[in-house]
Amino acid sequence: MSGGPGVLDLSVWQVGLAVLLVGLVILVSVRETLGLERDLVLATARAVGRLQRPLPGRYGIAAAALTGSTALVLAYAIGVVVRVHPWYEPQYVIPLAGMILGNAMNAAALAGDRLQADLRTRAGEIEARLALGFAGREALQPMVRAACRAAMIPTVNGMMTVGLVQLPGMMTGQILAGSAPLVAIEYQLVVICLLAGATALASVAFVRLAAARYLTRAHQFRRYLLLD
Amino acid sequence: MTAPEASPTPPALAAEHLGLTYPGPRGRPAVAILHDVSVAVPRGAALTVVGPSGSGKSSLLRCFNRLEEPTTGSVRFHGRDVRSLDPLTLRRRVALVAQTPVLFEGSVRDNLRTHPPDAEVDLSERRLRATLDEVGLDAELLDRDGGTLSGGERQRVALARALLADPEVLLLDEPTSALDPPNAARVVETVSALRAARSLTVVAVTHQPELVRQLSGRLLYLVRGAVQADEAVEAMAGDPGDSRLRAFLAGRSGVAGEVAAS
Repeated sequence: MSGGPGVLDLSVWQVGLAVLLVGLVILVSVRETLGLERDLVLATARAVGRLQRPLPGRYGIAAAALTGSTALVLAYAIGVVVRVHPWYEPQYVIPLAGMILGNAMNAAALAGDRLQADLRTRAGEIEARLALGFAGREALQPMVRAACRAAMIPTVNGMMTVGLVQLPGMMTGQILAGSAPLVAIEYQLVVICLLAGATALASVAFVRLAAARYLTRAHQFRRYLLLD
Repeated sequence: MTAPEASPTPPALAAEHLGLTYPGPRGRPAVAILHDVSVAVPRGAALTVVGPSGSGKSSLLRCFNRLEEPTTGSVRFHGRDVRSLDPLTLRRRVALVAQTPVLFEGSVRDNLRTHPPDAEVDLSERRLRATLDEVGLDAELLDRDGGTLSGGERQRVALARALLADPEVLLLDEPTSALDPPNAARVVETVSALRAARSLTVVAVTHQPELVRQLSGRLLYLVRGAVQADEAVEAMAGDPGDSRLRAFLAGRSGVAGEVAAS
């Protein structure tokens, strides 16, 4: 067959090119994911490990915030949005849980890092508010708000650039795996919204629980927790 | 409300065998800040706290408005243990102006209006202007951004903000330490005038001889968290009775001489 070798050559070239292109796309996506992972690891290390004076009960706080936010968002995704039957179908549960938890961890780590940094640098402001008779929660509110905002930045940026600047790994993977692009896009939209919900819930829960640790019932700021 | 421990006229503020210890970081010993401090400030009187840095002067002030929780002993406000009072109400009645005045983001007006929503502080324009005037600032400053003020102006704005809540006790943490002599002198005048006009009880951490003299009252000398001397300023006219206090004051430029000479 004269067309045989041609087709075979073309096929190898096509496969090579395809692998190269897919590899590039995946590399970008994986790199981004790895970047997030690295951020996550770094931020967690900074929030939890590097400090000479780690927050007492930090593991419990992280566990509560991450489990709560992930479980809630995953249940909503599986039970209400995608409606998987049976609900534990691993094809859906594993990737969704992984993405939700990964982003929630990232958000909580960023939030915790920012909160602790702000409590250090703005301790005077906190005590000035307390001295004026503000409740502890009110005195920490500006720092809580800043920490939650900082934690949401990657998610908000992702939402703004999705489909324009970057093709998220999940959508790309789904298209490459044979899904119709429209289905992949539908899933991507769902996932983006789920991740926004998960990061918001995780960061707010984590920051609220962590901030409460720095306050006493008598509205005192336990600044010695920040001393080296 | 019968307070069995209250004498007919209990002091406005009293510390009784006050001890303060910070729990140490993991594996390190606890840090002792105050040790068995007892002192009483009658209503309308003044107390000046002196001592080397790190002697617990600021911590003592912070115990008085319960920003700090003593580890042992107690603080009494008009004879009542502050632990039996609402800390937020206590802090509106016992105002603290920190050593480094903190101005929040925004204008001077925004800063003066920063009070808890339930505090029932009169924040009318008229009142803000009157209070700025009381601390010697021009009402034109209301629209200025807090970040553009000088150190002396910031100190006064912080003072005005505290005064808006109409406190009965004013806790001042080194109100003049960050100021140049002319500004320091003006703050001393302001505090003296305010004290007279508002019948304030004042507790001041200061090494400013003029402020010590103007406030009169008692002088508390703290060293490493313990009371080394507690004397009436008037009684020191000739010579502080305590040799260590005398030595400390002598070591500070002019303080001993000026206080002693007054």
